[in-house]
Amino acid sequence: MSDALALLVLPFAASVVFVLMHAYLGVHVLRRKIVFADLALAQLSALGATVAFANGYPAASAAGFGYALLFTAIGAALLTLTRSLARVVSQEAFVGIVYVVATAATILVVDRSPQGAEHVKKILVGSILTVEPMDVAKFAALYAVVGFLHWLARRPLLAVSGEASPAGRTQVAVWTWDFAFFMSFGVVVTSSVTTAGVLLVFSLLIVPAVIGSIFSGKLPVVLLIAWGVGIAGCATGLAGSYALDLPTGAAMVTALAGFLVLAGLAKVLLFVGSERRQANLRVAVQAMLAVVFLAVLSSCVWLMINPTGDQPLLALVERATGIGPAQFLRPSERDAFENAARDSMRFQEEVDRLDALEKAARYQGTPLPDDEIRRIASYQQSFNEMTRGERFVQDVLQGKARTRERWIIGVPGAFIALLGLLWLARRVWPSRLSGRNKDGVAARDSVVT
Amino acid sequence: MVATALAAAPALAAMRVVATTTDLAALVAVIGGDLVTVESIVPAGADPEAFEPRPGDLGKLRRAGLLVRVGLGYDYWLDALVNQTGEQRLMRGGEATLDASAGIPLLEIRGQSIINEGGHAHGMANPHYWLDPENAIIVTAGIAEALVRIAPGHRDRILANREGFLSQLETRRTLWSRTLAPFAGTKLIAYHNSWPYFARRFRLNVIAFIEPKTGVAPSPAHLVQLISEGRRAQVRAILHEPFDPEDASRFVAQKLGVPLVRLAISVGSLEGTNDYLALFDYNVATLAKALGARSP
Repeated sequence: MSDALALLVLPFAASVVFVLMHAYLGVHVLRRKIVFADLALAQLSALGATVAFANGYPAASAAGFGYALLFTAIGAALLTLTRSLARVVSQEAFVGIVYVVATAATILVVDRSPQGAEHVKKILVGSILTVEPMDVAKFAALYAVVGFLHWLARRPLLAVSGEASPAGRTQVAVWTWDFAFFMSFGVVVTSSVTTAGVLLVFSLLIVPAVIGSIFSGKLPVVLLIAWGVGIAGCATGLAGSYALDLPTGAAMVTALAGFLVLAGLAKVLLFVGSERRQANLRVAVQAMLAVVFLAVLSSCVWLMINPTGDQPLLALVERATGIGPAQFLRPSERDAFENAARDSMRFQEEVDRLDALEKAARYQGTPLPDDEIRRIASYQQSFNEMTRGERFVQDVLQGKARTRERWIIGVPGAFIALLGLLWLARRVWPSRLSGRNKDGVAARDSVVT
Repeated sequence: MVATALAAAPALAAMRVVATTTDLAALVAVIGGDLVTVESIVPAGADPEAFEPRPGDLGKLRRAGLLVRVGLGYDYWLDALVNQTGEQRLMRGGEATLDASAGIPLLEIRGQSIINEGGHAHGMANPHYWLDPENAIIVTAGIAEALVRIAPGHRDRILANREGFLSQLETRRTLWSRTLAPFAGTKLIAYHNSWPYFARRFRLNVIAFIEPKTGVAPSPAHLVQLISEGRRAQVRAILHEPFDPEDASRFVAQKLGVPLVRLAISVGSLEGTNDYLALFDYNVATLAKALGARSP
């Protein structure tokens, strides 16, 4: 466990640093309604780094950083210009175009010099797990500077972010502040993307800021909520990634999204008046029931139409209850089913045993001659074929069982689900349904008015 | 050597051979000598398993007198490309195609399978067989046979070329084995499972992989386990392929206090690996140096 703690401390420190800076920039991005700007800028800086690579400079060198910064500046200028174009088409459209074109250009450059491919992969997946102490210190220093500058210029920056054409400012001033914002944004994102990856950086920007904005319109409150939730989300994601053996970046993104769902539920169920809360709770329960009934209904109908096809819900129920297809087979068929399961496991073990034997012989004892290796390979191939055969037997018998199940389970299941849906419908639209029973026309009129 | 073969080949008379990877192209260049011009589809240094073909590759295939592939699902994208050309002779089993994996003693036959057009499921094996120099004997036999089939008049030249290559290979192989002999049984961690054939030939023990699933970043639990296992087993080095991100490999190497060794899995993927023999010269020397040997 101490090993694990030591491993997770630095990623956690890095994510705290990231959250503090990115959640704040996220508020700006939300106000500007250009949530994908970070992807566009990050991809442009990746393009810069790749071009540097193609010209023979490593990404970590001064030249590599210079190229990345130059391309980020081009991106900042492009995004600044699109504000004027936004009167005609949404600015987000241009942001999307910048992102896609930058990505495509990166692929073209990588194609000319494959050495850059590693850098592109790294930007996509990230590697927050293996962040080094020096990196965290660098991020903290950089963000302190950017944060300080933003604090100094908070008035014009927030004004420019908040309105399409801020009053009392000349066009040149707006352009200048826009460029300053995008440039600082680009520098931050460029630095974080190589460590955290595109997905995590995007989530850190948007999700905490969205959660904060759900609960308040005041910047300090939004920021405090965003920081708190962002840090909690990252901690949960990191812990989950360790406990459940999951890739770290993806686990953190999912955890942040989980917090967003929780925040949404809390907003409609906790942070409202008691009457409204009751109503919301009712709607939530009804929606959940409707989803369950619909899933059961469609699964039962699917079972009746195509019993030998994939039955995901039924398989889930079988696994949960332990009541499998074996219950619907005759004793002789059941024997064959169970034998097939046992044999396929036995054959698999045999393949693994031969594998272990061959692996051990690579470095200890007498080396196995080529013919012996060929013999092992052909045994393994045979066992694999036999395993597949047994799986086929299992599939056929399961199909047989399902064909019998289709009426025994499908019909009553569908019936119950239908009854449930009808009962729900009566509760949701009591007046409408009863009204139509008495006088359809009158009821429809009352719904319209 | 590829370059010299290309330069020496008279453009019109030579037979055009297309190989999917630079490794096979290098072997074809040696066996065909100035009778062939050879091109690879995947450029040097790119990841063949993440390769995206382009329109020019169709032209390359159409002009090809012989197509040589790695097989075993490694160059799986080739089938779709060949189908596009509509040339029967280039399709699996066609007279102008060679699956270089034929006859190789395969390692790590797995349960997952690919279905080929015959509908018969094959056990897939680890595809990195060219990283055992002994396997070059089998691969070049296949290449020589295919070339002789297409140009029977040049039989003697082709066989002489192969003899020359095999005697060179034999000399170097003794040297490589001697260089790595002191490290027999050495425990290593690799980024991907690219080294079973290399490990078998040079008696190395690759105990674990940093990224067992391509493209999925390792989880913290996996890294913790790698590090504790690496400590217990006294792993001596981390092997890394040049086209993959280095962070995780560097991290594990640092924690274990062992060198990170960049080895080339293909001809031309690192400087100084421009032909098949040079690939092994480089890998053997680099690994031996990292493990602390003086070159003999």
